[in-house]
Amino acid sequence: MMKAANKQNPQNVFSWFGGMWSSRPLFSTGMALIVMIVLQTLALGFNFDSFGSWFSTWWQNWINILRNNSGIGIIALGMTFVIISGGIDLAVGSTLVAVGAVVMVLVDTGPMGILLRLGITGTPAILISIVVAIILGTLLGQLTGLLITRGKLPPFIATLGTMKIFRSVTQHFMTGYTPAVPKDFLNIASLNVGGQLLMPIIYWIIAAGVLYIVFTRTTFGRQAIAIGSNERATRLSGVNVARIKTRIYALMGLLVSLSAILQVARIGSMDYANAGSGYEMDAISAVIVGGTSMSGGKGSIVGTVLGTLIIAVMNNLLNLLGVPPFLREAFKGVIVIGAVLLQKKENNA
Amino acid sequence: MIVEMRGIWKAFGANVVLKDVSFAVRGGEICALLGENGAGKSTLMNILGGVLPPDSGQIELDGKPVVFHNPAESLHAGIGFIHQELNLINDLAVYENMFIGRELKQKNGLLDAKRMIQETQQVFDRLDLKLDPRAMVRDLDASYKQIVEIARALMMNASIIIMDEPTSSLTDPEIERVFEMMRALREHGVGIVFISHKLREVMQICDRYAILRDGKMVAEGSVSEVTTDDLARFMVGHDIRTMALQRQHETAHEVLRAENLSDHKFFHNISFSVRAGEVLGITGLLGDGRSELFQAIIGAGSDYSGQVYFEGKPIKVRSTTQAVDYGIGYLPRNRKENGIIKDMSILENGSIVTWPRLARFGFIDRLRQNLEFDAQVTGLRIKLERKTDLITNLSGGNQQKVVLAKWLSTRPRLLILDNPTQGVDVGAKEEIYDIILDLADEGVAVVVLSSEAQEIIRVCDRALVMYHGALQGEVSGETMNEHDIMRLATGATLN
Repeated sequence: MMKAANKQNPQNVFSWFGGMWSSRPLFSTGMALIVMIVLQTLALGFNFDSFGSWFSTWWQNWINILRNNSGIGIIALGMTFVIISGGIDLAVGSTLVAVGAVVMVLVDTGPMGILLRLGITGTPAILISIVVAIILGTLLGQLTGLLITRGKLPPFIATLGTMKIFRSVTQHFMTGYTPAVPKDFLNIASLNVGGQLLMPIIYWIIAAGVLYIVFTRTTFGRQAIAIGSNERATRLSGVNVARIKTRIYALMGLLVSLSAILQVARIGSMDYANAGSGYEMDAISAVIVGGTSMSGGKGSIVGTVLGTLIIAVMNNLLNLLGVPPFLREAFKGVIVIGAVLLQKKENNA
Repeated sequence: MIVEMRGIWKAFGANVVLKDVSFAVRGGEICALLGENGAGKSTLMNILGGVLPPDSGQIELDGKPVVFHNPAESLHAGIGFIHQELNLINDLAVYENMFIGRELKQKNGLLDAKRMIQETQQVFDRLDLKLDPRAMVRDLDASYKQIVEIARALMMNASIIIMDEPTSSLTDPEIERVFEMMRALREHGVGIVFISHKLREVMQICDRYAILRDGKMVAEGSVSEVTTDDLARFMVGHDIRTMALQRQHETAHEVLRAENLSDHKFFHNISFSVRAGEVLGITGLLGDGRSELFQAIIGAGSDYSGQVYFEGKPIKVRSTTQAVDYGIGYLPRNRKENGIIKDMSILENGSIVTWPRLARFGFIDRLRQNLEFDAQVTGLRIKLERKTDLITNLSGGNQQKVVLAKWLSTRPRLLILDNPTQGVDVGAKEEIYDIILDLADEGVAVVVLSSEAQEIIRVCDRALVMYHGALQGEVSGETMNEHDIMRLATGATLN
């Protein structure tokens, strides 16, 4: 009865808020982000000569946040597909290292560079290495997908295995070998756009836009959600569940390879032991905070972008507040748990 | 010992399942409790077993009134309830299962395996049972599992044992073994309530029978004075009128023909055919294998031997995707588990099968998706507020119509409907029957799988009755009646 009365009384701010909270899946996520941004803005302080100098600091801070999180943001987009279809992918960090290593070996300007030895240099070399990287990432994802669908392995097990394999093999072959990445390749990430290093952010925005459309408009996207919600009913509706699942992991691999190219281009080198480690958990956290259900069937691309931003802004906030680095992971944990608790409330309302 | 239940009433919400039921069983007899699905047998026994409280009425043990609040109290009073799904743990030994939850311990707190094995052996000896208490339950066949459950009940001094369809998953020799055990128990003065659908078994093993129909006890007596015919008639009732809805269907060419299909597990040697414009019913009782048969045919079940012909061509469907391409639709049983996708909208649930056909370069054509679904909503008279709402907002009947809509929009030439009116109200049921008949008039070959004989009679031109994975017989046209169907479904033959 209370609820019905509230609905007829929209001028009551609290009931409007409650209604939105319980009826819009992304409302609480958006609210959390806004609160986070307000706190972050306060933490940045207003101790500046003019509004102009405050704003440029604030803006610069934002660009840094977005750029630093574009790599994980792109991976989280793919992870949304994986998780919404009821799966999980622990191998994203290792795939990133493997693909990154191959890219560097290809474009290496030192004596070991593969393309150089084939007589290919400059822009063609860069284009070829990008294409190879994308194909490789997609194939590695496809392989994981086949292990899960043909081999009937639980996704957790299959990707736990490939996680170990990909990184270990990469480390073995890359020991004592430091490829030199040509300056032109670095332009992929560091080309100046309006006086700013915006390229990584642009890639992230494009990827998010494309995947949003794939998610909402295509047969593939809708079937992925259907599988996560009720795999049996989806199969009985004539959907080739194995094929869709394999494609989901291939898409994940493709996005990881984009992220790998971006990382190589930004840093120009790669630490094979540590690069990308923890990415799987960061991506999963972003997806979960963005409201996607671990058991599949529920979630969205927009949510994942918001989730990535929440974690990113929180990191920035902790940084601004001078919280000791070791404590920051704890806050991430709190955010993940808190987000899921909030979403539980929504579902029960 | 004698257990008497008197004047038991029980309702779930507005649905009264037991109406003034009285029932008694004494030590040293086997009493069959019979009735169709939903007649109230399980509810009555759940009350006796302490699983459910009655709304009113009383239970007396040897003349003393008792109240059971939970299964433990009932068991303590000497009533053992062996459920259809056995409560054994496969990964433990027999003796460990016998003592689960009340393990014997040594003084130091460790388990006393020796004493548990000994006591188990004693019970087995008393029953003349050659079974090693140390054997793993996993390695036992289904009948011995059943027997271990019985032995467990006896070990706890049960003098009345309720067995809920104990033979439904057993083979014939296994059934005989369980029956021997039951006879031995009768000799020892134990009373047994035997719930079953299989009238032949009832005639074979039981002393008395009690029949529930629509929550009322309609017949009781001594088995030696009745025939399976009589029992089948009591279960169905004389007074149920079933108007057949069938019309003169113009049947055309053969759409589906099956020859000697066997999967060596759920169905054996099945041959049949169905023509365009025909409504073929397939019926039987729990465990008859009809769902497994048709899931195998559409590529969603087990592998099979034998040959399927679709419109004259030999085919073997390997996936549901292929089935859709052939023009075969399958509306599954258990809508909640197999039919609806609960996180998706009404529109998406009603169009998922046709997405690939509606798509250009992978993009779903939303305009056509909406138009096609709107046509189905009108055609099937689906009542909904907004088609973007979640499917779970609809009533059972409307949900079922949406599931039906997704198949109708593929324009199937063969439509298989498994329990199409499960969990829908009476009005929606009639509407679904009308839809089925309209489809047949349009030239679709329709197969209706149902355990409700009345439903089969109402909509089908003819019906095949399955028993334990085999075709037991066929009934058709004017001569279809519940009595014959029930006889065939319980393993008897027509004259």
